[in-house]
Amino acid sequence: MSDIFDVYLLEAVLNGLLLGGLLALLSLGLNLVFGVIDVVWICYAELIMCGMYAVYYLHVQYHWPLVLAMLAAIGVVAFLGWLLHQLVIRPVLNAEPINQLLVTGGVLFFLQAAATLAFGIEFKNLGVTLPSVRLGEMSFSAARLVAFGAALGGVIALWIFLSKTYLGTAIRAISQDRAIMPLMGVDPGRIFALTSALGGALAGLAACLLVLQYDIHPAIGLSFGPITFLICVLGGLGNMLGGFVAAFIFAQFIAVGGFFFAVEWGYVIAFIFFIAVMFWRPRGILGK
Amino acid sequence: MRLFAAALCAFALAAQAQQKEIKIGFIYDVSGPFAGGGSEPAQIGTKAAIDMFNEKGGVMGYKINAIFTDAQSKVDVAINEMTRLVDQEKVDIVAGVYSSAQCVPMVQQTESRKKFLWLNVCIATAVFKDRKLNYVFRPQAHSDQFGAWSCDYINYYAKSKFHSEPKNLRVAIIHEDGPYGVGVAAGNESQCKKHGMNIVLKEGYSASAPDLSSLVTKLKRARPDVLLHTGYNPDITLFLRQAKEQGLRVKAIIGHGAGHSQIDKLRQTFGEDVNYFHSIDPAAGQLLDPKTLKPGIWDLTQEMVKRYQAVKGPGELPPHVSMGFNNTWILLNDVLPRAIKQYGGFDSEALRKAALDTDIPVGGTLQGYGVKFYPPGHQLSGQNERAFPVVMQYVNGRARIVWPREVQTTDPVLPFPKGHSFAP
Repeated sequence: MSDIFDVYLLEAVLNGLLLGGLLALLSLGLNLVFGVIDVVWICYAELIMCGMYAVYYLHVQYHWPLVLAMLAAIGVVAFLGWLLHQLVIRPVLNAEPINQLLVTGGVLFFLQAAATLAFGIEFKNLGVTLPSVRLGEMSFSAARLVAFGAALGGVIALWIFLSKTYLGTAIRAISQDRAIMPLMGVDPGRIFALTSALGGALAGLAACLLVLQYDIHPAIGLSFGPITFLICVLGGLGNMLGGFVAAFIFAQFIAVGGFFFAVEWGYVIAFIFFIAVMFWRPRGILGK
Repeated sequence: MRLFAAALCAFALAAQAQQKEIKIGFIYDVSGPFAGGGSEPAQIGTKAAIDMFNEKGGVMGYKINAIFTDAQSKVDVAINEMTRLVDQEKVDIVAGVYSSAQCVPMVQQTESRKKFLWLNVCIATAVFKDRKLNYVFRPQAHSDQFGAWSCDYINYYAKSKFHSEPKNLRVAIIHEDGPYGVGVAAGNESQCKKHGMNIVLKEGYSASAPDLSSLVTKLKRARPDVLLHTGYNPDITLFLRQAKEQGLRVKAIIGHGAGHSQIDKLRQTFGEDVNYFHSIDPAAGQLLDPKTLKPGIWDLTQEMVKRYQAVKGPGELPPHVSMGFNNTWILLNDVLPRAIKQYGGFDSEALRKAALDTDIPVGGTLQGYGVKFYPPGHQLSGQNERAFPVVMQYVNGRARIVWPREVQTTDPVLPFPKGHSFAP
């Protein structure tokens, strides 16, 4: 038994922690949008894919400095988030939830097909590799450490924005009572548009960090979309802190489960845990 | 009345002209992850072969009407497209197919419809093994051979290159968990065990997994000398990236086709880190020694290279181009003419008989192998018994054949030289 608790187990745990940071970052924007607008962007991972392409083309094709390309990509995806709201979500705001799901599902397929036509099926990558961070026999991805830091920073920044600014307060108020706030002078349309842009910006931030670790292709969203959605549901849809916690729990199941058993079992255990939580707390770990 | 007769005549001629074609439905993936893993190059190779035939008038006067469909890297789409090709497009032959995950269920469907299916790319042995298929044929090598080849290769060089007895070599086998990966890994395990090698880890994973760090950690703990890997894309790039970041060290990495054969793409991502990597696949035609081929074959190879590069530009041609081209060429140049001449047409029965008569010696095809299909009653009936893959090694982006010895064009570099990113 003692040899199980070796340095490799510790490496698996720490890698799970870093994966958790990545998943937490992914879930942040989706939770924000659902929490405020009450609509699930099924196409959220495809917005991230658009951001990854934006970084790639600006940096590799147009030779922008990487940081500038990333900032621009965040702006591009924020704009796409705003556009998604104006063109697709707004007309179905009062429709049945299933219709809202279907319409964003349609956008998912549209974006995948459009990316295939526009960018081709070639796998693209930045050709940028961040150095590894070594700790004795253990070694970690610097890109994941950055993602972990960005997730933490993102949650803190979002918390400050939502709790300390007028706009943030308006957003929280709208999310609590959509009907009453217009009577107090808050324009829900503007708040929804702003939230969508903010959700898009968070997707753009995730794109900037994913592009350092993954190849870009039109179907990349399929690797992250379902798992991001599950994490949001596990934490409590719309609950950003819940999503954050759920991401780390889910990631530990994947990493440590995959270490003790086959890699696939890590995912199986994580999904079993998800199902069990849904029976125990149908609204998620921190859902109300 | 004269006008009516002329119209009737014109209609009859038009009808006859319409009949003078052979409809072949090709299924490849030109979107989704399989496209970049070799399916698109295979389709380009296939198109080149068909164009060459149509430019010289088709097959025995029959124009080849090729209908290409996109399976989108999805099994259900592939099956639906096959159904559409057979039921609506009324194709005479279904062909192509990149992924073994698509091939395995598809053969059941075509077989029950008695529709002739010609498989160009997918390799899983499970497609044929003990299924008693009558109308499915595959000139391509099968996964058991891929799996055995890598073990034979390291067994041969164990003493001279690794300075170790085969039984002392630590081998890890990792694979995507579809029929392709599982098939190759089973071949790996069986053959490496025959050579007495020490298999320290064997594990599958999903090709769409977003994280493989725990697999890398387990490999680090298992400390293999040789890593045998079977995967598509993007799982291969994800694994290699995480393996490098986490400091995995091995003496050799041997891939088994698909993503490992897309060396241009791997180099774009990993640069010099993929130097001295291996991939096992049927030979890319352009790598073979022309002297080992029958007269005229090398000219065909040159034409294939020219046509592919006209589409994709210069660069190393992945073996999948040859698979698409060569295996389509065998169908059009050998099987179809015999079906028409000896068996009176190109319905499934005629094609089946013609395919079973195929007897091309080694060196008679663009990829060097011969063609003779296992007969009905054999556990692999419909599989080409003369196909074989080769072990290629990549040095500075160029592929060289390093195994088997009979077709080897250069001595392999084993183990990874000092200073290599994955070298111990």
